[in-house]
Amino acid sequence: MTTGKTSNEAWGTRMGLILAMAGNAIGLGNFLRFPVQAASNGGGSFMITYFIALLLLGIPLMWIEWGIGRNGGRYRKGHIPGMFAAIWHHPIAKYLGVIGMVIPLVVMIYYTYIESWTLAFTVFSITGDYFGRASQAEMVSYLQSFQGIGDPATRVHSVWTPYAFFLVTLAINVWVISKGISGGVEKLARIGMPILFLFALVLAGVVLSLPAGPDGSSAWTGLNFIYNPDLSRIGDARVWLASAGQIFFTLSVGMGSLQAYASYLSTKDDIALNGIATAATNETAEVVLGGSIAIPAAVVFFGVSGAMAVAQSGSFNLGFATMPVVFQQLPMGQVLGAMWFGLLFFAGITSSVAMLTPVTAFFREEFGLRREPVCYALGFVTLVFGLMHIAWLEHGFLDEWDYWAGTFGLVVLAVTETIIFIWIFKPENAWHSIHQGADIQIPRVFKFVMTYVTPIYLLFILLWWGWQDALPLLRMEEVKPESVNYVLLSRGIIVLFAVVFAVLIRIAWKRNGYNDRAGFTEGAIQEKIQ
Amino acid sequence: MTSSAVIFMVASWSFVLGLTAWSFSRIMKKG
Repeated sequence: MTTGKTSNEAWGTRMGLILAMAGNAIGLGNFLRFPVQAASNGGGSFMITYFIALLLLGIPLMWIEWGIGRNGGRYRKGHIPGMFAAIWHHPIAKYLGVIGMVIPLVVMIYYTYIESWTLAFTVFSITGDYFGRASQAEMVSYLQSFQGIGDPATRVHSVWTPYAFFLVTLAINVWVISKGISGGVEKLARIGMPILFLFALVLAGVVLSLPAGPDGSSAWTGLNFIYNPDLSRIGDARVWLASAGQIFFTLSVGMGSLQAYASYLSTKDDIALNGIATAATNETAEVVLGGSIAIPAAVVFFGVSGAMAVAQSGSFNLGFATMPVVFQQLPMGQVLGAMWFGLLFFAGITSSVAMLTPVTAFFREEFGLRREPVCYALGFVTLVFGLMHIAWLEHGFLDEWDYWAGTFGLVVLAVTETIIFIWIFKPENAWHSIHQGADIQIPRVFKFVMTYVTPIYLLFILLWWGWQDALPLLRMEEVKPESVNYVLLSRGIIVLFAVVFAVLIRIAWKRNGYNDRAGFTEGAIQEKIQ
Repeated sequence: MTSSAVIFMVASWSFVLGLTAWSFSRIMKKG
């Protein structure tokens, strides 16, 4: 039995690893989705259920994924099929890993497109392009014009503008990932994360010091709007599911990227303390900073009822329509607008490069390919399918991928990996694996939580979402007749990716002579991070 | 802000900031 070919990549420093892991987790959801969810789900009630989900779902899953990843790294496997096969010596294990290949690729493709909006709006803020559109309705129209949807007669930008920004964003992503773990991803995190926190701190400071708005509402009224406990909501299952969903998205679990990053660690390296530090950094960015910018600013300028309407209209309207209106009414609004969209851009890019890592690892490790050609090829795939998202956005092409891969798929992968790592590998082995090289002893109660509570919590979410959302979506109950073919094509591409990866896995296993029942031979352990 | 909202905000911020400070202090100690 042989191991796949790969170079001995490793993290340069411990802080670089933590920043990259935190960068992977901190994304658009921290600054857009979290405040909307908190405000719409009972404020303080949401926060209670949110922290319970963090302790019972988010943190245990995060340790499970670090454990799976590092265990895979022992056999030089930075991709989910190899990680599953390393734990479960059964022929089906590697094929279950297909989920962990499709999800990061699919999410990376459409996420890069959304990321390109933030880059475009950074430029539009600097140039003052949207200044003069003083209402949310005008900004929604401006956003749609940029996206190439809505009435062509009111189009502000050239039809090629979104394509140009997508190309630039994609090129930056491919360039970073082609430089490798320590030379690309870690360097990006060391530059991007401090800028992200600096921008967020400045914006939160500006928002919290705003004078009261026309109806007397201040930013503190906005914080009251988020945190005021409506305890009557605590018994509402939807609040518990909303908070569990937010924890899922914010920690980037179920994506395959966290495991890929952890695979570049050795068993001498800590994952228990590093993992909790990463999760805590993400929570600070979300709860302290994410909650102090968009909603409080909206409350100052539009009042509580206006902010509630904004929250109910969705995260993107809050970020791309409401906030630009706010910036236009502030001194140095162009600078603050550039900081807001720059903040979202850095939050996005540190997440998207992470999504490409497991797919890159698969081709490098199993087919012995050099990193650069793999990155360029994946960049080409992202370009081709990304163009479809730009062209067919109004037909719900992106929404399909966002639901099946970026929402439902994450829970499917999390359930699968938890069952494999905890139940098949056995809780004692999983617990021991997580504690190898650990700088802290995780409280033993978490062993019970990982074994019983987290899987049941996940299955409950999966069943609820399956019943409430997946079935009606699958039946295309709300799809416009003219969009049906686009939706079917969108789903067909996801299925195509799954089939292609399954075939590639089969070829790789045969090519490298792996024996499913015997497992892998332990590969060279990468050098310890400093 | 109402006092109950202040309590929830202070408790939430204290928890995440405390966890962050504790974990990074342990990392610094370990070097």
